[in-house]
Amino acid sequence: MKRLGFKLPSPGLFIAVLLAGVFVLLPLGSAAEYSFRTPALGPGTYGWDNYAWFVAQPDFGNFIMLSLSLAAVAAAITLLVLVPTVVWLNLRGQKLRPLMEFLTLLPLVIPVVALAIGAQTSLPVELQSNQYSLSFFYFVLALPYTYRTLDIGIRAIPLKTLSEAARSLGANQFKVIALVLAPVVRGAVIAAVFLTIALSLGEFTLTSLLHWQTFTTWVTVISQSNILGAIALSVFTIVAAFALLLVVGLVSVRSKRRQVSEEE
Amino acid sequence: MAKPLNRTADKGAANRGALVSDFFKLLVPVLPILVLLFVFLIWPIINVAIMSFEDNYGNFTLDNFVVASQGVYAQAFGNSISLGLYSALLGSIPGAVFAYVIESRGSEFLKRIINSATSVLANSGGVPLAFMFIAAFGAEGSATVLLKALGIDIYAGGFTLFSYWGLVLVYCFFQIPIMVLVFSPAVQALRKEWNEAARSLGASKWQYWRHVGIPLLFPSFSASFLLLFASAFSAYATARAMTVGTIALVPLMIGTLVDGNVIVDQFNLGKALAIGMVLVTALAMVPYLLIQRRVARWQK
Repeated sequence: MKRLGFKLPSPGLFIAVLLAGVFVLLPLGSAAEYSFRTPALGPGTYGWDNYAWFVAQPDFGNFIMLSLSLAAVAAAITLLVLVPTVVWLNLRGQKLRPLMEFLTLLPLVIPVVALAIGAQTSLPVELQSNQYSLSFFYFVLALPYTYRTLDIGIRAIPLKTLSEAARSLGANQFKVIALVLAPVVRGAVIAAVFLTIALSLGEFTLTSLLHWQTFTTWVTVISQSNILGAIALSVFTIVAAFALLLVVGLVSVRSKRRQVSEEE
Repeated sequence: MAKPLNRTADKGAANRGALVSDFFKLLVPVLPILVLLFVFLIWPIINVAIMSFEDNYGNFTLDNFVVASQGVYAQAFGNSISLGLYSALLGSIPGAVFAYVIESRGSEFLKRIINSATSVLANSGGVPLAFMFIAAFGAEGSATVLLKALGIDIYAGGFTLFSYWGLVLVYCFFQIPIMVLVFSPAVQALRKEWNEAARSLGASKWQYWRHVGIPLLFPSFSASFLLLFASAFSAYATARAMTVGTIALVPLMIGTLVDGNVIVDQFNLGKALAIGMVLVTALAMVPYLLIQRRVARWQK
């Protein structure tokens, strides 16, 4: 089924990728062109000045670290809570599936602004005063996408057969999970972690309505003082998030390929 | 004679007891996620629902809903719903075609790159997105200048980026990637064998799509469409960055009420608006759930 060798792309594929490239690069490329302008050195000159401007902002590094750590905690919750839940639902909890499908759809039904009002009025103060409560909200907001990604990926794998086979060969519960189940669900798990990280890095509505400052809200504030700098910062946020996920994605493709060749 | 009957009755009761305890055993592993959903989603929204029926002194009233369904608020609901529908329509069709082409013809490597890109773009929004579009399609934007040089003046028809249609255009930038994300699994589930079977029975390419492909994909397509509607209907960050109160939209109104920038006579008006939004998206999700049930039958 899987094509491992490289083939010449079909015309349909070529056109689709070309159009997608125009769709993404027209706004992104235009913004990039603006972001390299250096009007201080005269018209038509280009340089890294606008990028140097936001990097030199005293809070730049702090807010990046904060947003990355909030995203890391949200990703950890996905790994520790959601992944075992979906594996369990596919192994033995079939009956609970309709319930979970309904519950994980709720974050889409409830607009984030509505959730923000509720969080302001009803959450205990201890939770509201801890910035890491945001990670839990990010996890919940990503659920409609992460749950479905994991469920579709894991449903395709005969988990029950695999774990029974491993047990009959003498593996204990821990070995079944660590050496058999974890490697085969890796692809779906990585996709779900991606979605959680991407959502956490970009979330603005809830963060700002709950009066927290993260990288995203800082961008909004700082962009009022320097328009070219703000455009440079906008380009940076999108390109950096893409690069981050691409690196993780390519690493996972490599390990998947190794797995395939080991199987052969 | 009574004995065996009794025994079966006992067995029935014991089975029922076992069923109940089995159900709780099933529930234990999902408890962590249920607790998180309750604390960070369900409990807050229950509170909003209760307070939307309270006046400033905590007495029961329907006034919040009466105000929320009139005048500028009714207009805002109309704008938000039509914005959701148009951007879902403009996002879902190209997104579905793109997902199909990539899933059916793309290499594993290309799919990975597309997956990373769509994850990021689906979550883009707010000020960064607004600045990108101003740099590109603003009156002095690079793309505007480039298109003008090619003979296309997008500002000829009185278009501005800060209008309703400008907002629809900007929304497409995250709507199409969301469509690719949610529609790809449906395309993956479309088996090659079905196409081959239809072709070997003498169906033309067009007949395959007319009688097999489109009917099979339609439920997932309409479900994805409803997700896009919900996403644009409740989008806040981008609308806030793009319009400076020029277009009445419900999420923006709730946002200003929450921020306390505007003082209204009724403290709980924002909560009634929020519950109004929940009702609209819930209504859109009813067909989604019905459709999903049908899809689950063949997507295994």
